[in-house]
Amino acid sequence: MRRFGWSRILFNLLAWAIVFVVSFPLLWTIVTSLKPQTELFLIPPSLLPGEVTFEHYAKLLLETRFLAYFSNSVVVSVATTVLVVAVAVLGAHSLVRFAYPGRERLAQLVLFTYLLPSVVLIIPLYLLLVRMGIANTLFSLVVAYTTFALPFAVWLLRSFMAGIPQDLEAAAMVDGASRMGAFFDVILPQALPGIISTAVFTFILAWNEYLFALVLVNQDSSRTLTTGVITMLVTSFHIEWSMLMAASVMMSVPVIVVFAFLQKHLTRGFGAGAVKG
Amino acid sequence: MTNAGATAQAIAPRLKLSTQYGLLGALLIAPTVLIFCAVIVYPLVSAIYLSLFSIYTPTLKGSWVGLDNYVALLASGEFWNAFWVNVVWTVGTLVLQVVLGVALALLLHQNIVFRSLARSLILFPYFMSTVVAVLVWRWVFNDLYGILNHAMMWMGLMSVPLDWIGSMPNAMISVILVGAWKYFPFVVISVLARLQTIPDHLYEAATMDGAGWWGRFTDITLPQLREVLFIVILLRAIWDFKEFDLIYLLTGGGPVTATQTLPLLVYKHAFALNEMGGASAVAVLMMLFMLGFMLLYFRYGRATES
Amino acid sequence: MTKVTFERVHKAFGAFVALEELDLAIRSGEFVSLLGPSGCGKTTTLRMLAGLEQPTRGTISVGDRVVNELPPAERDLAMVFQSYALYPHMTVAQNIEYPLRKRGVARAVRREQVLRAAAQLQLEALLDRKPRQLSGGQQQRVALGRALVRNPAAFLLDEPLSNLDAKLRAHMRAELIELHQRIGKTMIYVTHDQLEAMTMSDRIAVLDQGRLQQFDTPLEIYNRPVSLFVAGFIGTPAMNLVKGTLKADGNRLVFDAGGLSLELPPALVRRDVLREGGIAVVLGVRPEDVLLATDGERATVKVVEPTGHESIVFFDLMDHTVVGRVGPDVRLAAGEPVGLTLNAAKLHVFAAEDGRRLNADLQPPATQAAPSLVA
Repeated sequence: MRRFGWSRILFNLLAWAIVFVVSFPLLWTIVTSLKPQTELFLIPPSLLPGEVTFEHYAKLLLETRFLAYFSNSVVVSVATTVLVVAVAVLGAHSLVRFAYPGRERLAQLVLFTYLLPSVVLIIPLYLLLVRMGIANTLFSLVVAYTTFALPFAVWLLRSFMAGIPQDLEAAAMVDGASRMGAFFDVILPQALPGIISTAVFTFILAWNEYLFALVLVNQDSSRTLTTGVITMLVTSFHIEWSMLMAASVMMSVPVIVVFAFLQKHLTRGFGAGAVKG
Repeated sequence: MTNAGATAQAIAPRLKLSTQYGLLGALLIAPTVLIFCAVIVYPLVSAIYLSLFSIYTPTLKGSWVGLDNYVALLASGEFWNAFWVNVVWTVGTLVLQVVLGVALALLLHQNIVFRSLARSLILFPYFMSTVVAVLVWRWVFNDLYGILNHAMMWMGLMSVPLDWIGSMPNAMISVILVGAWKYFPFVVISVLARLQTIPDHLYEAATMDGAGWWGRFTDITLPQLREVLFIVILLRAIWDFKEFDLIYLLTGGGPVTATQTLPLLVYKHAFALNEMGGASAVAVLMMLFMLGFMLLYFRYGRATES
Repeated sequence: MTKVTFERVHKAFGAFVALEELDLAIRSGEFVSLLGPSGCGKTTTLRMLAGLEQPTRGTISVGDRVVNELPPAERDLAMVFQSYALYPHMTVAQNIEYPLRKRGVARAVRREQVLRAAAQLQLEALLDRKPRQLSGGQQQRVALGRALVRNPAAFLLDEPLSNLDAKLRAHMRAELIELHQRIGKTMIYVTHDQLEAMTMSDRIAVLDQGRLQQFDTPLEIYNRPVSLFVAGFIGTPAMNLVKGTLKADGNRLVFDAGGLSLELPPALVRRDVLREGGIAVVLGVRPEDVLLATDGERATVKVVEPTGHESIVFFDLMDHTVVGRVGPDVRLAAGEPVGLTLNAAKLHVFAAEDGRRLNADLQPPATQAAPSLVA
């Protein structure tokens, strides 16, 4: 019994050592963001801040356009998520429960676009948005984000909704519901966990997007966090490390919040379908 | 949507029930199809069309050049360099992702203390923005103040600080490492989900038959993981091949063109060299390379899914 | 009160024919079972009646109304699913209330009717629970309650008891019979369990591979199966079936199978089916018609399976295994030699070629009690 106990402790130590190494860059970011500017360039670096300061956070929030970028990111991500999930729920329901010619082809098209590289679409999309006169707007980003978010959402929701028993819809229809009535009364409530997961993943995808934001927007008022922070704090000659680390932490806050509150839903999401990366 | 239902009801007496249902189904998928056509199919087709032109980015004026863009690309050293860089990056980071991913999935499958916290910490890189991930690593890699150089010197692994990003082969190693770190959680997630469905009695039977832990791993765990690993490797190969953000932000394709993959080449042609036609041609060729993997996934991925 | 009629109803999924030209007339108030192995088309039949599948051709009527192109909601049928299909996000009360809500019944009336249905099924204490908090038997009752609450033209039941354990199943069977007697509605019951069909139905429709084999009362189906399939499917233990040749020898009728030779009653089969040189047939005899007789054919006891009220015995009769049932007081041991005769009045003869029944069946099936077994 004693030997068993010791090997367990050793195993736990080893496991957590590995976890620590993997997550070290994240911890190091937080540590760095809390160090005073002067301590940043100590050689060798100090592992724990000698003095904890929130000055970088304060400076970022009060003296830079960080909050403007943040709110742009929120607007674009929320708009993309709402649009994409609403459209995808109907589309996925159609793909799972209805029979019409071309349905299988459509499902294949969704999968194909799900795997399609963004760089292939970016040039024609850029030209299209310029011609429509909406380049450099947040709306153009929503349009662009739809290109990867919609296939992703349809694909994920399709596998979620295929897991809802056929009999439920049938029972509702026999009980007096129309097909759409059965959809609203029975399918939608059952799909809710899947819809939440899909919405969360879509939000994260949009929140983290960089390439479209880089190409389609070069006007500061429409920049999102990913491009805004870089243009603001990284120049060829100088990098504001302290503020960058503070910005990195704050950019990750929504993701962390979502992660913490919805972990159960998220792991279910992994089971149901692959996650885009 | 009540409208859709009402419309279907209104024409009810005329049409057969199965036709009505078919129409309703088509109506529900219609928004998806319309958006697909507008923002995916149309751009995809025009990407191929644009690749036959020479287009100057600032003015967007173009002239028909036929297949000249392709001919020029296939004869250029830069294109083939980008292709091989892309292959090296994809294979390198994919191998690391799979090895790390399987190892950590096995670890996190064990009963360790604070397991769900450990899982969250391990999975987190996958969900954070690539921008953040790259910034964090650039700070870790920093030649003067970076913790990596200091840690390695403190451990006696080297005597002078290394330039992790600005020289070769370090830049490629760094890109591959950061890519593996950012994306291995995907492998962990998928493998972990599969591990949880392997019935315990298989292991119990193997133990009774005298298999040690290595025997149990090679005879039970690995065969059970084969399918999921096949899918995961295909998906990650596709996604790693088209990765832009991570490499662009970490090295910008440098030093010179040592880490310049095809997606970066597309961006460079379009927005640095201001040659959109050529950029489209690179993108189309790149998509052709990926098509093989996509078809594989089409054939086997969907079969195993259902 | 509603009759249900299928006229030449055909259903194909691509090249696969699920149901072939079904003609079935179910009387008002009748309890009819659709019986058959999985894949025989019974569930497809029920789902087409409910409106969940569309027939490829043919006409389905409920009462005097053709319902082919009516959506399920307008067919006025209630259905109990094998999976129960309770709405997981609704309470028991909301589940039962749902069909009423969809029909626009006033709130107060709904409440009252839900309570009444719940009372009938002893669900009052569970009304505020969610389905996942209920046992299998309770879920089954809720599914029944949801069907009962709205007084439909007919009830469709798709293997409603198959997910219950044996004891509960027997109990629910009795309750369903009682319910049918009380409300007198047409009930169509899909099952693969011949015991359920036999005990509950007014009539049974036996289906196999999409074809209706026989539609008759349980006793008639038991006593005069029209085909080899029906004969083998109905009854436990299954009817003994022995392949052999049937020959008319003057006035005698002789059955030969390997070393076994039996003289059968001359009037057993229709004369017109007999051929010169004999025809290939399958002789069927139910286990209760295998009788112990000291002067019978010589056989050996292979296995004895006592069940308490009787014993199932496997005999070796000239290298053919024959199953019989004997009373609880008859003591037999494996290896013991016995004499066997077959109840001549209850033999079944089927054509080996297509399985159809060849019996003359001129007289009604024997009404006298089976002769008591002799040790």
